[in-house]
Amino acid sequence: MKWIPRWMHELSSPPVFYRFAGVMRPWFMGFALLLTAIGLYGGLVLAPPDYQQGDAFRIIYIHVPSAEMSLFVYGVMAIAGFIAVVWRIKLAESVAMQSAPIGAAFTFITLVTGSLWGEPTWGTWWTWDARLTSELVLLFLYLGVIGLFHAFEDRRQGARAASFLVLVGVVNLPIVHYSVQWWHTLHQGTTVRLFGPSSIEGDMLWPLLVMMLATKFYWAASLCGRVRTDLLSIDSGKHWVRDLADREGR
Amino acid sequence: MRPGSLRAACAAILRRDLLLAWRRRGDIALPVLYALIVTTLFPFALGPDTALLARVAGGVVLVTVLLAMLLAFDALFRQDLEDGSLEQLMLAPQPLALMLGMKILAHWLSTALPLIIVAPVLASMLHLPGEAIAVLVLALLLATPLLSLLGAVLVALTAGTRRSGMLLALMLLPLCVPVVIFAAGAVSAAQTGLPWIAPVAWLAAALALMLVLAPLACAAALRIAIDA
Repeated sequence: MKWIPRWMHELSSPPVFYRFAGVMRPWFMGFALLLTAIGLYGGLVLAPPDYQQGDAFRIIYIHVPSAEMSLFVYGVMAIAGFIAVVWRIKLAESVAMQSAPIGAAFTFITLVTGSLWGEPTWGTWWTWDARLTSELVLLFLYLGVIGLFHAFEDRRQGARAASFLVLVGVVNLPIVHYSVQWWHTLHQGTTVRLFGPSSIEGDMLWPLLVMMLATKFYWAASLCGRVRTDLLSIDSGKHWVRDLADREGR
Repeated sequence: MRPGSLRAACAAILRRDLLLAWRRRGDIALPVLYALIVTTLFPFALGPDTALLARVAGGVVLVTVLLAMLLAFDALFRQDLEDGSLEQLMLAPQPLALMLGMKILAHWLSTALPLIIVAPVLASMLHLPGEAIAVLVLALLLATPLLSLLGAVLVALTAGTRRSGMLLALMLLPLCVPVVIFAAGAVSAAQTGLPWIAPVAWLAAALALMLVLAPLACAAALRIAIDA
């Protein structure tokens, strides 16, 4: 099993990752599209309407996967950010910073679909509920990270500073979540659990899980593309980029 | 005190920063004036209804103090960065976290303390009842150092950048949500006659935690942001 650490080590070199991401990206994107098609068909056509909410509940197939992604991407950003701050690996800096706009987009989609869902079911577009507020704070955190990254003239220094902010946010997010919960709450409890039985019907559940997988693949594809472009621009003076430009015929 | 010892270095930083603040006394008055003006605007916007003003008074004063502190944060490292003394501090043999802790203390004494002193005046302008004012001052005594410590970490992160004002607000907002919730929770509990000790205890616990962690984080952030 010695090849795994060696492979990981090689992968952190920009030219190797550039080639790897280029190969993987179409696959990720293909799986994402395929799974989205299956998930949406299952969710919008096959799944039965909810006994209380009717067809309005179907927005769950967009809302819950994006909400899950908004936290998942933050988690990835935090791990990459930690590696960037501690070991100063160029690829980790790039992954952390290129994750931020994707995460911000998912957070924004979560907020918009949530408010579209809230209108018919709760009778209001927005309420100062614990989860809604935490999600909004998460969006501000993402925007702060993006803003801090772009405020520096030196990209790598900006990436490290913003990664540090990501780590501060990791400590902060649970505190915000629990303090807001203590303050006011309306949102329903968790219905999909990893351990123990979920309180959702199987016919409704499987498209949701498929959509959750689809968003992961979409994120992977999107990240591959963004990091590739970023690596080219960071390493624009390096010989591997010059060789690449020569080969691709400019 | 032996020169060069830890205690002498701490005392020297504290004395220097407080002296600098005292020499520019006008700058100390600015956040206070700002808070006064913002608080004066609220009755015009909300109408002079005493009951309404009394209900929002605690929150208004808290947010006003927070914004006034936010405006003052920019000055925390600005001058030291421009004249190079911050880099000397980073090179000094004394632990950077402790030195920064002293700077944060001096900054708190020169900006937040005047705000806490005028807070009862601001609160009574908005007809906050007497007992709630006492709780408000207590909450501010715990919340403002917490904000200073949190803000210092973010100011350190933006130290290497040109435009930091709005960015700082964007970065600080997510961090100060729990502080505002607990401080305002204590005041509104006192106003409605409920026990207010729990949120105050939460603030005190957070302050105890941040007193240890924030200077360390601030030092780490500064080393990242001013990477020579």
